[in-house]
Amino acid sequence: MKIFWKTGEPYVLATGSALAVILVMSLALIGTVMTNGLGYFWPDELVQFELKDGSAALGQITQREKNPITGEQRLQIKVANRDLLGQDFRWIDEKEIKSRSLPSKAVLIERREHGNFFGFLNGVTAEGVTLNTLPPEETLEQAMTIVSDKLSKTDQIRKEMSDLNNKAEHLRLKLLRLEYSGSTKSNIEIEESKESREKALSDFTELNDVFSNKLAEIGEITAQFTDVSGGTKDIALVDIVTVQYPNRMTFFEKCGAYIERIRELLLDDPRESNTEGGLFPAIFGTVMMVMLMSVFSLPFGVIAAIYLREYARDGVMTRMIRIAVNNLAGVPSIVYGVFGLGFFVYGIGGSIDNLFFPERLPTPTFGTGGILWSSLTLALLTVPVVIVATEESLASIPKGIREGSLALGATKFQTLTKNLLPMATPGIMTGLILSMARAAGEVAPLMIIGVVKLAPTLPFDANFPYFHMDRKFMHLGFHIYDVGFQSPNVEAAKPMVYVTTMLLLAIVIIASSSAIYFRNRMRGKYTTSTF
Amino acid sequence: MAKTFTDKSRRNDRIAEVLIRIGGIMVIVSVIWILVMISQVALPLFYPSSATLAATVKLPSAGSNVRILAVGSEEKRQGVFSLDETGTFRFFKVSDGSISAAIKAPGIPAGATKLVSAENRGKSSYNLLWDNGAVSAVSVDFSSTISNDGLINLIQNVSEKGELSLPPTNRTLQSFARYVENRGTVRVDHLTGDHIRVTCQLTETDFLGNETKSTAVSEYSDPLPGSLTALAVDSQAHYLYGGTDNGILLRWDISEPGETRLLDNISASEGHEAITSLALVLGDVSIAVGDAKGRISTWFPVNVSGSGADKRLTKIHVLRPNPGKVSFILPSPRSKTIFSSDSASIHADHMTSERNLLTIKSSAPVIRASISPKGNTLTLLDNTDSITVWDLKIQHPDISFGTLFGKVWYEGYDKPGYSWQSSSANDDYEPKMSLVPLVFGTIKATLFAMLFAVPLALLAALYTSQFMSPKLKGRVKPVVEIMAAIPSVVIGFLAGLWLAPLVDKSVLTIFLSIIIVPLMLLLTIFFWKRTKRASPLQRVTHGREFIAMIPVVLLGFYFAALLSTFAEAQLFAGDFKQWLFNSLEIRYDQRNSIIIAIALGFAVIPIIFTIAEDAISNVPRNLTAASLALGGSRWQTAWRVVLPSALPGVFSAVMIGFGRAIGETMIVLMATGNTPIMSWSLFNGLRSLSANIAVEIPEAPFNSSLYRVLFLSAVLLFVFTFIVNTLAEALRQRFRKKYGRY
Repeated sequence: MKIFWKTGEPYVLATGSALAVILVMSLALIGTVMTNGLGYFWPDELVQFELKDGSAALGQITQREKNPITGEQRLQIKVANRDLLGQDFRWIDEKEIKSRSLPSKAVLIERREHGNFFGFLNGVTAEGVTLNTLPPEETLEQAMTIVSDKLSKTDQIRKEMSDLNNKAEHLRLKLLRLEYSGSTKSNIEIEESKESREKALSDFTELNDVFSNKLAEIGEITAQFTDVSGGTKDIALVDIVTVQYPNRMTFFEKCGAYIERIRELLLDDPRESNTEGGLFPAIFGTVMMVMLMSVFSLPFGVIAAIYLREYARDGVMTRMIRIAVNNLAGVPSIVYGVFGLGFFVYGIGGSIDNLFFPERLPTPTFGTGGILWSSLTLALLTVPVVIVATEESLASIPKGIREGSLALGATKFQTLTKNLLPMATPGIMTGLILSMARAAGEVAPLMIIGVVKLAPTLPFDANFPYFHMDRKFMHLGFHIYDVGFQSPNVEAAKPMVYVTTMLLLAIVIIASSSAIYFRNRMRGKYTTSTF
Repeated sequence: MAKTFTDKSRRNDRIAEVLIRIGGIMVIVSVIWILVMISQVALPLFYPSSATLAATVKLPSAGSNVRILAVGSEEKRQGVFSLDETGTFRFFKVSDGSISAAIKAPGIPAGATKLVSAENRGKSSYNLLWDNGAVSAVSVDFSSTISNDGLINLIQNVSEKGELSLPPTNRTLQSFARYVENRGTVRVDHLTGDHIRVTCQLTETDFLGNETKSTAVSEYSDPLPGSLTALAVDSQAHYLYGGTDNGILLRWDISEPGETRLLDNISASEGHEAITSLALVLGDVSIAVGDAKGRISTWFPVNVSGSGADKRLTKIHVLRPNPGKVSFILPSPRSKTIFSSDSASIHADHMTSERNLLTIKSSAPVIRASISPKGNTLTLLDNTDSITVWDLKIQHPDISFGTLFGKVWYEGYDKPGYSWQSSSANDDYEPKMSLVPLVFGTIKATLFAMLFAVPLALLAALYTSQFMSPKLKGRVKPVVEIMAAIPSVVIGFLAGLWLAPLVDKSVLTIFLSIIIVPLMLLLTIFFWKRTKRASPLQRVTHGREFIAMIPVVLLGFYFAALLSTFAEAQLFAGDFKQWLFNSLEIRYDQRNSIIIAIALGFAVIPIIFTIAEDAISNVPRNLTAASLALGGSRWQTAWRVVLPSALPGVFSAVMIGFGRAIGETMIVLMATGNTPIMSWSLFNGLRSLSANIAVEIPEAPFNSSLYRVLFLSAVLLFVFTFIVNTLAEALRQRFRKKYGRY
């Protein structure tokens, strides 16, 4: 026994359990996100509870736990119908339950407003539309297709309206510019612009009337539902996103519904102050910001690394640069945010506004947070990642290759571009991917310099000049913070946050694990093949 | 052709070299640039204030011995005015000193011939006390128009304020009049014989339109400790303050109609010097007191222990003394700055920061002064009848090293303290911007997180580099590296919305697992020793011990959870949190330091692990081989040979982890309640410097004091992490030099 302790085997076990704790924690984190995130889209059964006090409840069971006061088991049930019941969830003690059943007619309606509706379908009222007399479910389906047909017809109007709106905005800015320049010969132009703006605006109002009339007309088509306690509810079909009967769906139908929801998540706009619907603008904003960032950080990082590895002699300068690189990597990200705000937004942005857009002041154009400033700030923040990766891959290239190239008469620059850089490309790419992963997850600096909870427009669209660098954007990481911590109904928003978290985590983990995989493979390649 | 090609190549080579060198140096430049830029925003906090003489206007004589009672200036320093004892406002153009208008004060009470005094109610409004004891109120307004040729035309207007015109009385020496909602007009008179009379006149209109006038008069005629030398009334006529010739400060409650109650009777100066001047600082909480020796102090009522619910006037701030007798005190209408004069010069001091901002020397003794509504123009009248207008540049009077890092006695507080509360709904609020609670919060969060993370990360790194089979190491290391890539917002979200409610349900589990998991470990070791004899198991687990430990750890947590329910029911009456509060008076926040320690620790573990593992692995193989060859066990080798050699590298790993924890924003923001409190309790939240920046900077107005203080805290964070990182890097470079790259 004494020897056992003396040789220190127990301590080895202790160190091993430290690693075990770390791994357990990581697994717990990923497991929690996965279980909560993946389950959200699965159409759970709608259980009808008959309670002992005579009332009934219909909903999806979300959790089971011990009641902290009475010590009895209780169920958390998502009862939805926020507009009728006031809240989405309720707790029911298990001993209060008389019976449970799975009514096959129970319907889950996903609405554009007020969250989901759980209940039973009664019928469809459609004025001016002929519907075949069918069971109510099929009538609803038929009416839904009619409504979506009608809605797609209004798309043309909507597009025209948005064009007119853009035109009017464009003219407004032009007018501001003309008035600011103040030269007398532009008077005629001002008049002309004013006139065409007036016209565009009046056209817009006209179309808007037409549009809202059509919408109102479509809104006349409604379906009647009863909730579990017998109350009735009319829902306009326009407000319905999907209709599901989870209790009679087969496994494959549920899979189909699941995939449909994932498509919606990736490609649709958010609804209900970001707590439902899709994440498209956030995904788009994140991706575009990261891309833009790479454009700035890659050249800078690669050049700095080349300098350190190929040009600089070992000395005070290199040591200082190394210290600088480490500090760039170690300075808190919020400090970058503060710097970005003071330097890019108020400093450079303010100057740009004064020089190029003085007519729009005091409304700032570049003098406020935007995607350009965000990506520049994050570029600075992620440059060290690129530098370290590039340096490492340059270092792993055998010396013989440099010497061979130089001996054959190539200049240092030629050696660099023709030999070293192509060989180092996988390493540089690794660094780039790692820096992108870092940037995708960084939130703190963005909160100050350009991210918003809901951006009305994407930073890239079909209107000139296509890339709108001054626009604010949405971001997956900020979406998590905002929906999870700033939304009024955190409990109802939680599933959405888990889904967003899962998406962000997946992006980051896939990106970084592939980068690490490639890096390790590359390391292996050079260390085995040379010397 | 060949020659040109070579030339071109050479030229390209040289250009490229220059560009690449610039690129390399840009890295240093950008680090310095960041520091310079954020410091540049923060520095104006400490810039001195300045006053420049904008204009001098020589008053034409208005007649022999006509006293001037008030002077004032227009906001843009284009026009000045004076009020003399005949009740005439004379307006002068600053540019040439010519009179632009002379307006007799409107609403002069019948029978009045001469003005006795004029009290400035702020914003160029005056209460005029006439020689027959009647009071009228006027205010001066300026409006400017810009004519076509760009000249500014000033239009001045003097209007009457009707509800403050009061009938004549006798024996009045000094008078104050206030109009207060619900209480009507309140008039406070200082009568001969040092009596005080308070008259409340309320006119009520009922729904039928009938007016009922009620008047309540109270006269305070008790003997006073000395004769009154100065009086002041706050803007809502709640309190009347008085100072006597033997240095006694008095305070009366006059808020009840018909009742005047003496609340305070306190000696305000050590040498019983006469109190010569009293004025209320913006916000009506503090009173500034100036005495004959030139000392200036501010006072406000404080709960004194043993005095019951009553509050007693207490000396709070002592400002820099004037050389001579304080002749008047002028509060700024925009900030808690007070201007005081000893005739020869004017001093500006900020109450909270106790900073002496300015001293303006006047060529002749100053007899009248006023400050413009925006607080940036000072108008002085000296005894040679000339008006000087001063342009004041006082940027951040409320910030000093004292307010940022020292204890400050804020208005309404019972004792000096460190406090962060940057803004409030009203303008006369005293901003509390002490960085101490934030620095404390940062250190607390970092410390707890490091206590959690360092042992785990270092032990795991030691195991991975020394005992784990190389094949497994190739798998586990990337996993931990990927852990490092998990965005902090994800960790923060899970900590705040998943872990915090979970821990909230059973706090005891956390404490019990600290005991039970190691106990389980000991138990396992015991059995391990037994099973080791059966050698096939040993061969299988050698280098993979941690896999066997995973179920042990999980079981440990499970037992802890089971036991905690039991323990809570048996020992803590079923509710640990309630028990904590009842018996130890410890408040439990859901988002507390335990959560922070775990979440922040989790975030820095991979960083410490990776760097430490690299450092330990880089110890030359021949050292290990020698130790093992001499008969050392694998643990002895690792602990006594490898770890001491790798110590600098391990230390730098800890430092880098520390630097990361200090600046982490999102986790602290999401997993704590962001309350800037100073307590070491595990069960309370905190607010860190970084989270504070994230919370407050979106609402901080550009270039305001708050904005600059937030930049200053960014500078602090930068400097702190710079020191830590540079130290870590220096250590690492030395370590690398020692062992080279193996």
